[in-house]
Amino acid sequence: MQPEETRTDLGAIRIHQNVISSIASLATLDIEGVKRVGGPQRTGIMSFLSQKDPLKIKTEFTKKQEVRIEIPIVIAYGYHIPEIAQRVQDNVRHQVERMTDLSIKDITVNVQAIEKG
Amino acid sequence: MRIFTIIAITFYAAVITILGTVMIIISLNLVSPQMISDVLLYTLEGVNARIIIGLTGGVLILVSISFAQLIFGKFQREKTIAFITPSGEVTIALSAVEDLIRRLVGIIPEIKELRPDVKATKKGIEVEVNIVLRAETNIPELTSRLQDIIKSKIQEVVGTDEDVFIKIHVIKIITIDERDKKRKEPEEKPAIPFGGYGKI
Repeated sequence: MQPEETRTDLGAIRIHQNVISSIASLATLDIEGVKRVGGPQRTGIMSFLSQKDPLKIKTEFTKKQEVRIEIPIVIAYGYHIPEIAQRVQDNVRHQVERMTDLSIKDITVNVQAIEKG
Repeated sequence: MRIFTIIAITFYAAVITILGTVMIIISLNLVSPQMISDVLLYTLEGVNARIIIGLTGGVLILVSISFAQLIFGKFQREKTIAFITPSGEVTIALSAVEDLIRRLVGIIPEIKELRPDVKATKKGIEVEVNIVLRAETNIPELTSRLQDIIKSKIQEVVGTDEDVFIKIHVIKIITIDERDKKRKEPEEKPAIPFGGYGKI
């Protein structure tokens, strides 16, 4: 699905999926307890055979021009996972809506690993 | 399912079926060696035929890789614990829960090594832990304590009300001698020739 286009008097404004991914990434890293966006690094043949870009934030637009975001994260040891995930979702929703005026359908947080903080 | 995936699966199945059929035909002795040799000679003679064979080989490799990606991706997606929040879904990789359990080694000094394996089943979360203990440990007391700690830690950190079943398997008990041997193995320094020369 193509990103939403906003018409103005001078032309059109399109926001690329990568922009939303960047905002989501920065908003995620704002939350205390998030070590990084992504997952455990795969090595050897697994990195070759496993899914394409499994460590990236995936953004897609629905038919109703709503945004669906999937965020893989690594959380620091000692934090309450549901609370961190909820805070990530809230912050990402807030920042994306504030910066782009797009409406969010859902934000999926995938906790990939836990590492020592 | 994406169209490319469907095409890839169909193509792969077709190729494997053709290969199987050819092997059956060969085993039934329906083709003479001369015929096989003629086909091979024909394909090797023409440049176009060789290009086609090369390209087919390349396509087959690409299809195999995408097939493997599909399988590995599916396996990865299945290995999660998921719950819904008002903003969307949260999935926790089982390897993340395993990381969490592995960190517990530091809390209990009697445990030398801990290898967890977490599975999410319909009944709940199943945890299988292989441990290496130190010799002077009271095993029933320690395993019971470990089960309680793992259970409460998973329920506290992951935040699920699901049942947690914990199986503990003591795979090795390290004796004090063995431990001390590893810890205090004196390094034998090589003797330096004429090392003491000049000392009074």
